Amino acid sequence: MAAGVFTKGLCGFRQPRIVAAGYSCSGPLYATATAVKTLPLQTDSTAVTDKIQNLPLEMPDFFRLSELFSLKDLFDARVHLGHKKGCRHRLMEPYLFGSRLDQDIIDLDQTMEHLQSALNFTAHIAYRGGIILFVSRRRQFGHLVESTAGDCGEYAHTRYWQGGLLTNAPIQYGPGVRLPDLIVFLSTLNNVFQQHVGVRDAAKMNIPTVGVVDSNCNPSLVTYPVPGNDDTPAAMELYCRLFKMTINRAKDKRRQMELLQGLSPAGLTPGSS
Amino acid sequence: MAALCKVVSGLRTGTCVFPKRAIDICKSLYSTDSGETSEGKAVEETQKPAADKVKSGFAAAYEQHTDLQQRQNQTGTTVRFGSTRNEKSFASLLRNSPLIQMGPAKDKMVIGKIFHIIKDDLYIDFGAKFHCVCKRPTVDGEKYQRGSRVRLRLEDLELTSRFLGANTDTTLLEADAFLLGLIESKDAKTKE
Repeated sequence: MAAGVFTKGLCGFRQPRIVAAGYSCSGPLYATATAVKTLPLQTDSTAVTDKIQNLPLEMPDFFRLSELFSLKDLFDARVHLGHKKGCRHRLMEPYLFGSRLDQDIIDLDQTMEHLQSALNFTAHIAYRGGIILFVSRRRQFGHLVESTAGDCGEYAHTRYWQGGLLTNAPIQYGPGVRLPDLIVFLSTLNNVFQQHVGVRDAAKMNIPTVGVVDSNCNPSLVTYPVPGNDDTPAAMELYCRLFKMTINRAKDKRRQMELLQGLSPAGLTPGSS
Repeated sequence: MAALCKVVSGLRTGTCVFPKRAIDICKSLYSTDSGETSEGKAVEETQKPAADKVKSGFAAAYEQHTDLQQRQNQTGTTVRFGSTRNEKSFASLLRNSPLIQMGPAKDKMVIGKIFHIIKDDLYIDFGAKFHCVCKRPTVDGEKYQRGSRVRLRLEDLELTSRFLGANTDTTLLEADAFLLGLIESKDAKTKE
C-alpha cells in the first residue's frame, strides 16, 4: 500500500478514493494518488469532502451506537466482575460499585457511559478512514482478537510487542510508515501483570487509545478507558462483537455518504471560498 | 412479586382495566394475606389517592408498586439514549443475581460446563469471573467431554495471595473447585 506520503494524525483520511471521486475533471496534476499533497485552494470537491467529514460531528450519537448494547447485555456477559480486593489498582476505585466478599464489582452505569463514548470515538475514527489497531496480550483470546480485526478490515497485534514498534517505527519498518490512528486495548496488561508497553508508547506518539480496564489495571494513560471485566470469554466476545459492529457500521455509513455525494455532480455544489 | 410486576407491565396497553383485573386475581390468590394485614395497611388506604375501587392490604401495596413502575417506565427509559426496553437498574440486577445471592463461595454446590479439555485437565466454567481446572476423575473418565455439565463444590472464586514484598496480590486467574460428578442427561453426550 503506497501510504508513504500521508501525514500522521487523527484526520489522515485515505485520500486516493476521494481523489478519484472528486477530481474527475482535473488535469494531469492529480494523475497519481501518491503525488497528492494538501491542496492550497478550496475547491468544490473539498467542500463536499468537508461536508462528509463534518456532518457526523454535529450529532452526539450519529451512528446510533446505543442500540448495540444494553445494561442487561453487559450484566449477562459478566462485565461487572472484578478481581479480588487485594489486586485492586488505586486509580480504579472511582469506577467500582463496591466490593462483595472481597471481590470488586465494577459500576456498570459508569461502564455504559464510557463504553458509549469509546465506541462513538472508534466509529468516528473508522468513518474518517483511520487505521485501528487491536492489541491484547491475553493468549486465551488472541485468536478472537485477530479474527475480529480481520472481520472489520482493521489490524491486530496479539504477539510480543517489540520495544520500538511505535516509537522507533521509521527505523524499524522503513521511512514514511503510517502509524495507527487508534489503538484498542482489549486487555491493558501483559502476561506478567504489568501495563502493556503499547499504552505508554501510544501516549508518547499522540495516538489515542481505547482500553478495557479491569480492577487491577491503571486507567490513567488510556484516553477512553472502559472499566470492565477482561478475563471472562463471554465479556471479551461481547467487546469484540461491539467493536466489530461499530467499525463496520461506520465504514458502511461512510460509503453510503460518499455514494450520496458522488451521485450529485461535484461541480454543482457551490464552494465556500 | 417481581414476576407479577413484569406481567402487568407486559399487559399494559394504555387502559386501566388490565391492572385492575390483575389485582382482582391477586386479591383472590392472596385473600388470606389481605385479611391478616388489612388492619395494618388500612392507614395506607386512606392516604392513597382515590382509586376506582377500594383496595386493602396486598392489593394496595401492589397498586403502589405498579404506579412506581409506571412512573419509572415513563421517565427512566427515555434517559437512556433512546433505549425502549424496560431496564432494571444495575443495583437491582446485581442484588438479584445468583452470584450475590449465593454468598461466600466456600462449599457451595454449583453446576459447571466443560469448555476445554487438555488430556486429563478439564476446564470448567460455572458462571463466575474465572473458570476452574479439575483433574479428570478415574470413575467414568471417558464421559467428561466438551459440553458436559458437571457438579462442583466451590472453594474459592479467584486464587489470589499476597506474597512478601509485593504491592498487590498475585492472582492465578483461576477459581478453585472440587469436581463431584457428572449430571446425567442425554443432551450432554450429544453436545460437542
